[in-house]
Formats: sequence, structure tokens, C-alpha cells
Amino acid sequence: MSPANVKVTHGATRAGRARHLLLALRSVLVSVAGIVAVVLIWSLVGRLLAHPSLLPSPVAVLGALRVLLAGEIGADILASIVHLAAGYSIGVVIGLLLAVLCARFENLDVFIEPVIEVLRPISAIAWIPIALLMFGVSESVPIFLIAYAATFPIFVNTLDGVRRLDRLLLNAARSLGASGNFIVTHVVIPGALPYVLTGARLSLGVAWMAMVAGELVGGDAGLGWRIMWYQEFFAMDKVMAIILVIGVLGFVADAALRGLQRRLLGWNPVES
Amino acid sequence: MTDSILKIQAVRKTYVSVRTGDTIEALAGIDLEVPAGEFLAVVGPSGCGKSTLLSLVAGFTQPSAGEVLYRGQRVTGAGPERGVMFQDYALFPWRTVLGNIEFGPLARGVALTQRHARARELIRLVGLDGFENRYPHELSGGMRQRCALARMLANDPEIWLMDEPLAAVDQQTRTILQDELLRLWGDAARRPGAPTVIFVTHAIDEAVLLADRVVVLARRPGRIKAVIDIPLPRPRPAQRGSPQFAALVAQVWDLIRDEAAKAIVEEIDR
Amino acid sequence: MSRRRSKILVVSALAVLLLAWEGAVVLTGAQASWPFPSGIIRSGFAITADGTLLVALAGSLQRVITGFLVGALVGIPTGIAMGLLPWVNLAMRPVTESLRSIAPIAWIPLAILWLGVQGNAALFVVAYAAVFPFILNAAQAARAVDRNHLRAARALGAGPGLILRAVVVPSTLPTIFTAARIALAIAWSSIIAAELALGVKIESGGRSVAGLGQLMVATLYVKRDVNALVFGMLVIGLVSFLIDAVLRRLRDTLLPWARR
Ligand SMILES: Nc1ncnc2c1ncn2[C@@H]1O[C@H](COP(=O)(O)OP(=O)(O)O)[C@@H](O)[C@H]1O
Ligand SMILES: [Mg+2]
Repeated sequence: MSPANVKVTHGATRAGRARHLLLALRSVLVSVAGIVAVVLIWSLVGRLLAHPSLLPSPVAVLGALRVLLAGEIGADILASIVHLAAGYSIGVVIGLLLAVLCARFENLDVFIEPVIEVLRPISAIAWIPIALLMFGVSESVPIFLIAYAATFPIFVNTLDGVRRLDRLLLNAARSLGASGNFIVTHVVIPGALPYVLTGARLSLGVAWMAMVAGELVGGDAGLGWRIMWYQEFFAMDKVMAIILVIGVLGFVADAALRGLQRRLLGWNPVES
Repeated sequence: MTDSILKIQAVRKTYVSVRTGDTIEALAGIDLEVPAGEFLAVVGPSGCGKSTLLSLVAGFTQPSAGEVLYRGQRVTGAGPERGVMFQDYALFPWRTVLGNIEFGPLARGVALTQRHARARELIRLVGLDGFENRYPHELSGGMRQRCALARMLANDPEIWLMDEPLAAVDQQTRTILQDELLRLWGDAARRPGAPTVIFVTHAIDEAVLLADRVVVLARRPGRIKAVIDIPLPRPRPAQRGSPQFAALVAQVWDLIRDEAAKAIVEEIDR
Repeated sequence: MSRRRSKILVVSALAVLLLAWEGAVVLTGAQASWPFPSGIIRSGFAITADGTLLVALAGSLQRVITGFLVGALVGIPTGIAMGLLPWVNLAMRPVTESLRSIAPIAWIPLAILWLGVQGNAALFVVAYAAVFPFILNAAQAARAVDRNHLRAARALGAGPGLILRAVVVPSTLPTIFTAARIALAIAWSSIIAAELALGVKIESGGRSVAGLGQLMVATLYVKRDVNALVFGMLVIGLVSFLIDAVLRRLRDTLLPWARR
């Protein structure tokens, strides 16, 4: 609202730039210090424990990670990515389709929404036993769980976005001579896009968790499955190395979607 | 006397609240004729149905009873010949200034080069040069208003429906925008075929300054309390502060004072 | 379409669906391998009546609540500190962001190692899952505390303790409540996941059932009762629904100004 929103660019003086650099350097140092502190505590606790295998040291985990990266983990990562890609795309397509149907046809909405509302509190995890029964221990279990988990956030957010579309904006478009498909492509879709993307990100988050849980309990390949495999051998350094890989990949996937969000939504003042 | 471009005949509008099922009578029997080229101002306390009246003419809602006739045709929907400037501007947040302004021509299928030429001309006209590629959230209130005005003008509408367009800016900006609006409309030299304006405001001095006639609405239920001719000579900006101007403002204020007081009491009661 | 009519439509549609399901299973004689409504009810009644369900449910709930409280106790102060103090935020953010990306269930082998196979391993997973919603939301809420409220309090002579108690906490509470809802939902599905993983582990050892997840595994591998399995799943969904309803009600009574 206020004119303060309009950016004013000051001429950057050399001293100002140097100060800025110093501040940036300091924040990086503090962040690094945080990570270093955690690693220190980790190795200290590991040393104090009765048995070293209870909590492998950072060095041991890094060593295990090197061994894994050189060897078999590539196949596990690939398997997990295949599970995720298959399940996530199924879930997103179903969620989007249902949301568009609900928004478009009020009569359908009356049936679809209650079913969704009944299913939504039943998390993907709760389906694991049934999925095991239906598919047996196989890649279908994680894929089914991922698809199921991914469906809801994107459905709910897309529908919300379409419903929240400002009636004023629709009126404005109409009074400017727009109608039908033009309104859909130029008002409804751009207006709902932030919600759709938020939904896609939330979906990816729950899909990631469902993937790990599905592979861990009912899969026959992938990072989650590999954790349990090493657990059988009490190779805790390898278990932690895989945990590390899961964390890094999850972070990268989320960052990628966040980047997409920023790219597509330059006009949006609210960042999430 | 020119022909009326707009006829509002015995129009009522009753809203039904979706939540409670209560009915609200927003307009209770409005009769009004607007000659082509007239600058008509509508004043009244908040909640008296000013926005509803504009929505009916714009075609966003249909009357519960009575008829709105535009050029003799019953209004059944929105159309580009009736331009609207919204109370909160309703700019598309995902389109730049340029994108907003050329939305109308784009929707009507005007070719790219023509569209851009027209948009640039309007950008210059409303003084937004250099801000073409800004998004609405990067603009000040006054700039958003200019953008909304240019967007409405891009379709060359025959009638301008303006809902408190200058309500949310500071006094200086407001004065400048009033003068610009008059200039755009053709305050000094009226061309034949000049646009008709229905200008909703709650500021009485603004209504008197701009309009040929001022319609005073009463509330609960909304109906026309009075229609006052403003015989001030044009161009109008020179009339600010003239004794005649002050007298007309006082006259309208007398009509509206009781209503405004009632509105305040009701606000307190709620 | 009126609300009433649409409700009737939904209910009748669901009824038709259930009947069709029952009919299809019974008529094709597939009762042994497919779940069906009356079978679900019968099996559900059986495991409720002999007490196994309630014992398992109590075990799971107890661990969820404990883990949730641990998550809140760690997460809320951490989040508020991160929101108010920039250097804490700088130091903690990369750590929390990287830990958050790890699926809680992935910790299960280590949790078993540390806390034993019975139930407490699941507790760790739950606390781990619950802590991040608290941290993120508390930090965001603390950052969003109205600067002018803080200034006003300071101008009125309030010290840091009072400001924290009288300004920061009340204005962050609505968001923290939202965090609690998210955290409990995640905690609940994490406990089931953890217990399932534990159940699969223990099954060979044939030890006693400690939670809903273990009960489901036992039902799957020992009893092979499909209907009980579906019933268990419905119970899990119902609990999650009820938890959320209770929290929402709680928010509306405790924080009437935050009602939306
Ligand atoms: N869509 C709507 N649904 C229900 N009531 C409405 C709606 N729009 C306006 N009203 C009611 O109609 C009355 C007139 O509203 P409005 O035309 O917006 O008045 P004004 O623009 O003069 O402030 C008010 O009491 C308002 O609450
Ligand atoms: Mg209004």
C-alpha cells in the first residue's frame, strides 16, 4: 500500500560495500560455527558412550559414505528416485485432476470432497499393512504409498487456490471483455498457481517420508530398504551414511521446487 | 437534451446471506436516467448500496426487480463498452503494469503491436513511464490507481463506472488525480461522443467538484434521497474554493448529514 | 443445490457404495481374501472386545503424547530464540534445515539400538518428527511479532522477562497451536510407521504387542485377517481426525481472538 514498497537504490559506496561484505562473512562464520558445534557434540557423545558402535563418529560415517558412494549406493538412489518419480507423478496428476473436477462441477464436488475428507486423516503409513497384503514386499508398496500421500496436499491446495480466486478479479476480467477459456488461461491459472506450487511442495515432502517408510517396511530396494539391510549387520556407520544421503537428497528436492516457485512467482509479494 | 445512454427503472436488489439465510435489502427502488456524456456522481454513507448500483450497471449482478437498460438493451452481463475502475483496483497481481493495461485489448484479440502502442500511450498519459515492468505490489497507492485507470481506458469504454477510485490516497495525490481525471474526460472541451461517467465517492466536495449532477443515496434500504444539479462552469479545477462551490457542498452536506449520523450510530450499536 | 439436499445425496451415495462393496465380495465368495463392510465390523468388534485393540491404542497414544511433548519442549524455545535473536537463527538454521530433510523413520535402527526394540525406539522417532514443526512455526511467529507492540511494551517500562511473557508468547501462541496440529499429525503417522518397522523386526522373536503398528503386523502375518487390518487402518484415521478436532476446539476456547 505505502510508497515505501517502491525500492530506492542508493549509490553503493566502497565503504558501504566493504561493510556489507564483512557482515555477510560474519553470518557465514556463525552458520558454520553452528554446524561445527553439532559435529563436535556428536563425536564427543560418541566417545563418552560405552560402546563406539552405538553412535559412530563423524569420521567413521564419512568413511562409510565414501565406501557406499564408490559402490552399491548408486543403485539404491536410482531405485528410490524411480519410486518417487512414479508415485509422485501419479499422486499429483490424480490430485490436480480431482481438484479441477471439483472446482468445475459443483455436483461432483459433493461426492469427491467427502471421500477425500474421510481418507485424508488416514495417513499413507496406515496403509502399509494393506499395501503389503495387496502387493507383497515389492516396489509397488512404496509407489502406492507415495502416490497416496502426494494426492492430498496438491488436491487441497489447488482447490483452495481456485476457490479463493478473487471474485473482483474475475469481474474485472469480464468487464475488460474477457470470457471463457481466456479467463481460465489468464486469470484462473495464474491466480491459482501459487497455491498449486505450494501444494506440489507439500506433496513432495510427504511423498519423501512415505518413500522412506514404504521402502523401509515393505520395499525390496531403495534407500529406506538399504537402511534395514545394514541394520541387520549392525553396520551403524553405513546406516548413518544413508541417513545423511536421505537428508541431502530431500533437501535438494525441496530446494529445486522452491527455486521453481520463485521463478514462476516473481509477482508474488508473499514468500513461503 | 441528449438521449439517455443508461436507464435504471424501479431497480431493487436484495442479497441473501449464504451463511445465515437473512436477506439484506441493498437497493429499494432506484429510478435514474443518465444522458450520454454526463458526469454523474453518487454519494452516500457506507453501506447504502453505491457499489451495488455500479455492479448492476457493470452487469456483475442482476437486479432482484426492475431493469437496467444500457442503450435501450437490458444489461445481462459485463462488457468492454462499460469500463470499471474498482474500489480496491482489482489489478491482476501476476501481471506487470503493462500486462494489466493491455489485458482488455488482449482479451478482445487486438494485435500485439497495436496493443502495445495503445498501452504505452496510456502509460504516458497517466504518468507511469518507467514503471511498465513493475508488478502491482511494487507500486504506491497512487500509482496503482493510475494503472487501474489506464487499464479501464485501454478498451475505450463508452461509460466509465468508477467506485470510490480516489478513496485510498493522500490529499495531494487526490487533488492531482481529480484534475487529471477531468482532463481525460474532457472537462475543458467536450467532444461529441465523449464518455459518460458514473463516479461513486463518499467525499461530497469531490462529487461537487467533478460532476454535472450529484445523486444522494439514503441507506437502509438504499434509495435516492435527492438529485442535485451542479451548475458550476467548467473547467472545474478553477472552481475549488469559489463561494458557489462552497454553497453547493454545504447544500449536499445538509442532505446527507442525518444519514451519516445514523450510519455512525448503527456502527456503534453493532 | 441446498446444503441439506447435498448432505442427503452424499450419505445415500456412500450407503450405496458400501452395499455394492458388500454385495460384490459376498456374491463372488471372496470373503477370505477381500475385506468387506460386515466383516470389518465383525473383526473390529472381536479385537475391541478381547482388549487387544485398546491395549495397543493406549500404548501408541502414550508414546505419541510423550514424544509430542518432548518435541514441544525442545522446539518452542528453540524456535522463539531463533525468531528473536538473529545470531541464534544463523547458527541453528542450517542445522535444523538439514536435520529436517531426514525422514524421521530413517532413524529407526539407531533408535532401536539406543532405546530398545519394545516401544521407546518409536518414542524417539515421534519426538524427532514433532520437533521441526514447532521450531519452524515458533521462529516464524516470533519474527512476525508486531514491532510496535514490542516498542509499546518497552515504552511502558516492561523488561525483557515481561515482554517475553506478555507480548511475545501471546502473539506467537496462535501459530504455535497450528504447529501443534501439524506436529501431532506427523507424530501420529510416525508412531505407526515406527511401530510397523519394529513389528516387522520383532515378529520373528514373537514378543508381545506394544502398539497399534505392532498389532497390525501381527494381524497381517499371524492372523492374516484382512478385515481386522482395514479396521485398524480406520481406527488410525479416526484417532488422527479426533486429535485434530480436539486441538481445534482447544484453540477456539483458549485463544478466542485467534479464531478464524
Ligand atoms: N455480495 C453481497 N452479499 C450480501 N450482502 C451484500 C453483498 N454486497 C453488498 N451487500 C450488502 O448490501 C449493502 C450495500 O452494500 P454496498 O453496495 O457495498 O454499499 P456501499 O458501496 O455504498 O458501501 C450493505 O449492507 C452490504 O452489507
Ligand atoms: Mg462500496
